[in-house]
Amino acid sequence: MASFIQLLVSGLATGAIYALVAVGFSLLWQTSQTINFAQGEFVMLPAFFILAAMNAGAPFWLAVLIGIALSVVVLGWLFKVVIVDPMLKYGVLPLVISTIALSLFLKEAAKDFYSAQAQPFPTLVPATDLEVFGAVVSTQSLAVLLVAVVTVVALHLLLHKTRLGRSMQATAQNPTLARILGIPVQRMVLYTFLLNGVLVAIASILITPIYLAKFTNGEVLGMAAFLAAIIGGFNQVRGAILGGLILGVLDNLSAVYISSQYRGAFPLLILIAVILLRPHGLLGRAEERSV
Amino acid sequence: MSAVLEVSNLRKSFGGISAVNDVSFDVREGEILGIIGPNGSGKSTLFNCVLGQLLPNAGEIRVDGKPTTGMRPCDLNRLGVSRTFQLLQVFPQLSVRDNLILAGQEHRGSMLSRLFGKSDAGLGDAARKMIDFFQLSHLSHEQAGALSYGQQKLLDAAMAFMAGPRLVLLDEPAGGVNLTMLAHLRERLRAYHAERHATFVVIEHQMEFVMALCTRVLVLAEGRIIAQGAPQDIRRNPTVIEAYLGGQSA
Amino acid sequence: MNRLGAIALGAATILAIVAPFFLRRYGIYLISMWAVLTIAAIGLNLTLGYAGQVSLAQGAFVGIGAYTVALLTQAGWPYPVAFVCAGALCFAIGWLLGYPALRVQHHYLAFVTLAFTTLVFLLLRNEEWLTNGIYGITGTARPVLFGWSTGSALDFYFFCLGMLALLAAATWWMLRSPWGRAFLALRENPLRALSLGLDTRRYTLMAFALGSSLGGMAGALYAPLVQFIEPNSFSLGMSFNLLLMVIVGGSGYFFGPFIGALVAVLLPEWTRFTEGYYLLLYAALVMALMAFCPSGLLGLVERVSKAMTRRAPPPSDLRAEGTSP
Repeated sequence: MASFIQLLVSGLATGAIYALVAVGFSLLWQTSQTINFAQGEFVMLPAFFILAAMNAGAPFWLAVLIGIALSVVVLGWLFKVVIVDPMLKYGVLPLVISTIALSLFLKEAAKDFYSAQAQPFPTLVPATDLEVFGAVVSTQSLAVLLVAVVTVVALHLLLHKTRLGRSMQATAQNPTLARILGIPVQRMVLYTFLLNGVLVAIASILITPIYLAKFTNGEVLGMAAFLAAIIGGFNQVRGAILGGLILGVLDNLSAVYISSQYRGAFPLLILIAVILLRPHGLLGRAEERSV
Repeated sequence: MSAVLEVSNLRKSFGGISAVNDVSFDVREGEILGIIGPNGSGKSTLFNCVLGQLLPNAGEIRVDGKPTTGMRPCDLNRLGVSRTFQLLQVFPQLSVRDNLILAGQEHRGSMLSRLFGKSDAGLGDAARKMIDFFQLSHLSHEQAGALSYGQQKLLDAAMAFMAGPRLVLLDEPAGGVNLTMLAHLRERLRAYHAERHATFVVIEHQMEFVMALCTRVLVLAEGRIIAQGAPQDIRRNPTVIEAYLGGQSA
Repeated sequence: MNRLGAIALGAATILAIVAPFFLRRYGIYLISMWAVLTIAAIGLNLTLGYAGQVSLAQGAFVGIGAYTVALLTQAGWPYPVAFVCAGALCFAIGWLLGYPALRVQHHYLAFVTLAFTTLVFLLLRNEEWLTNGIYGITGTARPVLFGWSTGSALDFYFFCLGMLALLAAATWWMLRSPWGRAFLALRENPLRALSLGLDTRRYTLMAFALGSSLGGMAGALYAPLVQFIEPNSFSLGMSFNLLLMVIVGGSGYFFGPFIGALVAVLLPEWTRFTEGYYLLLYAALVMALMAFCPSGLLGLVERVSKAMTRRAPPPSDLRAEGTSP
């Protein structure tokens, strides 16, 4: 039982990180039909921004701020303006291809311009262990869980309790109607990109101490984002959160109770099952057949 | 005469807005039914529900007695229901002839037989006849995208007729077409109707077109049928006039 | 195909036949690889260029084909039978994989194939009893066909070239049939196609299954070409590579894969001096291409040739109908 709690906590911690990434991914999709295949690399990269800043002499807290700022500007604003906006007129497919190429580009860039070796990354809190109900839980997991939960709650408040957030949601669900209601749609779309920049940066800070800063991180994290978004249901932000949490917990449990060799396989099988049985995901709304 | 199309208690809403509200009507074989109504009256929504492109919230649709609510458009087409589009939808990169062959090829044989059969799926003659009927013969090998708007409208209609459908739904066929071509189109539709004893349902805004072509007219306003009958009677019906001119608009 | 295109095709064919005699062993290996990858790219072009679906599993299908042939020939089966098995197996898997994924919209196939590739990699790596795991399989025999041994580099190249010609011709024939018209309709206007009775789902699935099958057949040639196969060769990297090949060449163009594969095979050689930055350049090239000419190199050629041979304005009777407001 003790080890189960341990796994549950660490699973929820990882799951919360996946949730953040999945929410960003989901929002981009909903508001601007952007299927961002580079989302995983977006999570991989801020860690390198931070490491570079630290190499240049900045203390950790400053480097984090720089990292988040760079993430918002480069992975949010620049991404929208340089890649997404020019491509949208060609349709969804060329944009998908572009983001696939972008993911490759970012991965290679990190490998070539920083390092091909895994780099250690500072944790948020010194890593010690606590005893909770007889289970040994690391402070790191708890810290990650705390930050992630706070972020998710803040996100929820933003999206549901503020005017800005509701406008963003309206834009996501029905851009035409939103425009008629006087919502500045283009600006809302920009905000979702910037928001994604923040989310991936936070996710990066939380997950890189565990995975170490590697240029290949994007593959796993991207996959997790896609799976979480699909499992939870594409047209619901809550779905992405739920999907992320489920994925994190299952991932951790399967590593222990099922062969660790096939650790990566379990979420994939769930994906196939979800698509087969409930394609709109656990929380998603069944979509209208498009006209 | 039996009913080719039966719509019963159809209801479709988007969020809180009810677009089609408890609509029921029949279309008898050989009729040309016109559906008119002011903007927002639910004509297009009704159409899309019948054609399988939208899932209605309630109600039933039957073609030749067979329930077809929610059927995929391609299956519906193979039952004998075809349509034209308000916004032109020909295949610009294919020739006129190829457009027509495409329109008919999925109705013959199976997918495999199509692979191993003739390149024109045995429709070369039928396509030529259709092209001649619509007087597009000189354009047979032109790319459809190079045709004028009016000619593309004719092609659109030709494609809908290619498979010899039982029921054709025409979505604003007169939209954007000049008077000469309009008369030509109307005449060709009437000729086809007379020759093949087809059944048409036409959504239109242009009154003259509807009055000249249709045998019976249905008037929709705010998702409900407010009148139906012969074109001349509808024209003089005070409820209809009010719906178009005065009263609330949707 | 216009006259210029026919001339180019003729010249390329002659070049393909004559070139190996002027190349050393490594050069012959490169053009053999080009032929094999082109087959896989032709398959992916069917899925992507004609049916408009992103598949990230083509590398995995090449792997399945390669391992099928390697294992069957090792067990004593004749090569031609193993080849056919590779193609058939990949067709079946493609159909099974695509069936649920294509019932939904939203490019779900992209994610499913992404997951599938990882799954296949894990299977190839972990099931050592079957695949020898990370140690791989060496020495897949090159076939002897009607007394002709394809063992030497030159002979095997001509075998690959022959298979490429055969499979390309078969694909060409398929595209000339009503299926080709259906694929075009599917790509240009699926909504209209549906309303004409075209089962878009079935055709898309068929394109994906056929495309995967071609991937398997490419794999069947890959194994005896490279003589050492291991799970890493068939991971996402190859799938990305093939995808980029199709895009760069021009997705939806019949000869796009040929050009794309050529670029993909030659680029690392030409950019040797950049020491492995070539992937970075490649990715940057693709992004730039997407921004300016999403229809790839052949699309660029078409654009240029259209601009150069500007068509005469349409005759006056077509202009007679204006549009009324």
